[in-house]
Amino acid sequence: MIPLSDFLIVSAGLFCTGLYIILSKHNAIQILIGIELMLNAAVLNLVAFGKFDRLNNGGQLFALFAIVLAAATTAVALAIILNVYKKYKTIDPGKIDELRD
Amino acid sequence: MENFLQAIDTLTIRFALAAVLLPLFAFVINICLPGKSNKAAGWVSTLAVLVSCALSVFVFSRAWNQHQVHQGQLWFTIGNIKLSAGILLNNLSVLMLLLVSLIALPVHIYSTAYMNNDENYKRYFTYLSFFCFSMLALVVVDSLVLFYIFWELVGFSSYLLIGFWFTRPKAILANKKAFIMNRIGDVGLLTAIIIIYVVFRTFDIEQLFGANALVRSTAFQVPGGWQYVACGGIFLAVAAKSAQFPLHTWLPDAMEGPTSVSALIHAATMVAAGVFLLARVYPIFDSQELVVLAVIGCFTAFMAATIALTQNDLKRILAYSTISQLGFMIMAMGIGAYASSLFHLATHAFFKCLLFLVAGIVIHQVQHIKDEYQLDIDPQNILYMGGLRKKMPLTFIACLIGGLALVGLPLTSGYLSKDGILIQSFEWAEGKSWLFKLIPIGALITSWLTAFYVARLIVKVFFGEFRLMQFNPHIKLHISDGAWQYRLTLLFLAICCLFPLFSLHPVLYEHAWVFSGFSRITGLDRVNIYHTIIPAGVNIFSILVIYWAYAVYVRQKALPFPESGLLFKLSYQEWYVDKFYNRFIVMPVMTLSKTAQWIDRNIIDGFIHLLQRTGILLSKIAEWTDRYIVDGLLHLIADLVLGIGNFARNFQGGKVQYYLFSMLAIILAIFLFKILI
Repeated sequence: MIPLSDFLIVSAGLFCTGLYIILSKHNAIQILIGIELMLNAAVLNLVAFGKFDRLNNGGQLFALFAIVLAAATTAVALAIILNVYKKYKTIDPGKIDELRD
Repeated sequence: MENFLQAIDTLTIRFALAAVLLPLFAFVINICLPGKSNKAAGWVSTLAVLVSCALSVFVFSRAWNQHQVHQGQLWFTIGNIKLSAGILLNNLSVLMLLLVSLIALPVHIYSTAYMNNDENYKRYFTYLSFFCFSMLALVVVDSLVLFYIFWELVGFSSYLLIGFWFTRPKAILANKKAFIMNRIGDVGLLTAIIIIYVVFRTFDIEQLFGANALVRSTAFQVPGGWQYVACGGIFLAVAAKSAQFPLHTWLPDAMEGPTSVSALIHAATMVAAGVFLLARVYPIFDSQELVVLAVIGCFTAFMAATIALTQNDLKRILAYSTISQLGFMIMAMGIGAYASSLFHLATHAFFKCLLFLVAGIVIHQVQHIKDEYQLDIDPQNILYMGGLRKKMPLTFIACLIGGLALVGLPLTSGYLSKDGILIQSFEWAEGKSWLFKLIPIGALITSWLTAFYVARLIVKVFFGEFRLMQFNPHIKLHISDGAWQYRLTLLFLAICCLFPLFSLHPVLYEHAWVFSGFSRITGLDRVNIYHTIIPAGVNIFSILVIYWAYAVYVRQKALPFPESGLLFKLSYQEWYVDKFYNRFIVMPVMTLSKTAQWIDRNIIDGFIHLLQRTGILLSKIAEWTDRYIVDGLLHLIADLVLGIGNFARNFQGGKVQYYLFSMLAIILAIFLFKILI
């Protein structure tokens, strides 16, 4: 039996990796990947905690929803990135700064 | 009957009023005329004077030796003082009315030719009409206030006309001088009017000086010395206007104006206004004051005659002769020869006007020669003239008649009036102490001096050779008597200088109508020996003097007096009166005003400048404080806010990842903070 703390450690590692990717990468698609990693860390947490709800399997179910939603948001995000690229000819979020004051 | 008489009087008054107002209309019309040298101006003015002359003749025929006509109406009221304005026609005023308009008419006609080439032709006639209006109004008004107003206007128009050629500095100086000297007289007249009003409570000339003169009545008494102040004021006014010593020096300088103006204003009419004033207020003088008048008049006559002996400027000689003759009139007033004085005023107006117009023609012709050959001479200097009688016969004859009238030879009008004065002066001095005898003797000598300078003038101008030829033999003379305007006026005035106009009897002045119109004595006595001796003596001696002058100047015999003697210098320098005034009045006044100006500029202005500089310094300090301290504080705050704002703004870099990073950092910081505490 794998203890819960291992899951949480892996999840935390994943989360931190995702966060690092988001903060450091200059490519919107990589940032999207980072976001996915962070989401997956959250999903991993849900599944790990779902072990304590054997009766309803609420954690697993919730994870499924989260995965679906993540896929949907990724699709939307990719569409946005495509449009951004069309307009600015770049997908580096650091260079898209028209909204600043 | 009463109503009928009143209606006739009203008509006379209306005619007199029209005669006075016509030149005023001409003045207004001329102002409105366009153009600087609009020839219509001359016709408007001349026509106005012609009509007012005709009206004056009518008024004169109605009022001369008739009852006096006096009508007026309320002018305005101040408190209890009611001031009326009206017209008073008696012998004196209708004579003056006729005289002024009769002299003004030929002068106007003459001027249309004389001023023809002047670029300010219109302005000239405008002023001339204005003068005629003022002068005509002066002689007919019935109130001292109105009299004073027109007295001033006459002086003012004279000022305008003396300075007519205002681009010449001499003309400006001359009109300034005339104006200032006349102001002295005006102050005197005003003082006298105020004193008279305070005592008698009326301005009405008829009530004051008429048949039942208030000034002679015992009901009123002028207190203390005020009588002398009033008479002194009137005397000052007379002296200033009629150019009597000591205020006579403006008149020779006034010759800077056009000659026609000199003829009308400074010979015939305006200068006679002083004598007219004396005649108006005659009852106010008592016997002592009359003696003073006689002395001043006699002295002026003598002094001016001696000055005229040596002057070389044609117009200046005539100006001094005018002063001299005016002195005669004042003297005649002083010795009680009221009628003779006015008679002399009337005759003098004609012959002096004639002489001036002759001088104008001569100067005009010499000026032409000067312009043609570009000579550097004074066209008025009689030393350059000579021999003009062949070229200008009519002018010569006119000048001769005028000159003889001025000397007072028989058959001329001057004889009648001047001998009247001389005879009466001897009668007056009879039975008085020898000091009083000096006055008739002075007058006698003056009339001989007159004979000499008139002869000198005529001989120098009209006899001998034309002296400019000696300077420049190439000069060709093509001068003549000039236009018909000149000939007509000379002819008219020359006829007026002869005796028939004034008296049918050529030698007895008592028969002259002007004399009898004023004389208060009936039953003239010719018992006195003077009536025969004086005219004969004066005239025989005058003829001798004239012959002497002729001999001296034409035959070139030795001069009777050297041109360097003390007496010559005294006469040539005009008795040093002008120099004395310059030294002792003008110079101190100038020094005083220059000192005042210096004080004004350096002390008063300096103080103000100091204040100004202090003010500027203070405001500069205030400005510095404002700029660097008050504003600085505000700017500091503004800069601080701006800096903070900019600092805060820096975070909004538009880089999404920085935002995220900073969020993370803050959250971590909070956690760390929590853990540590």
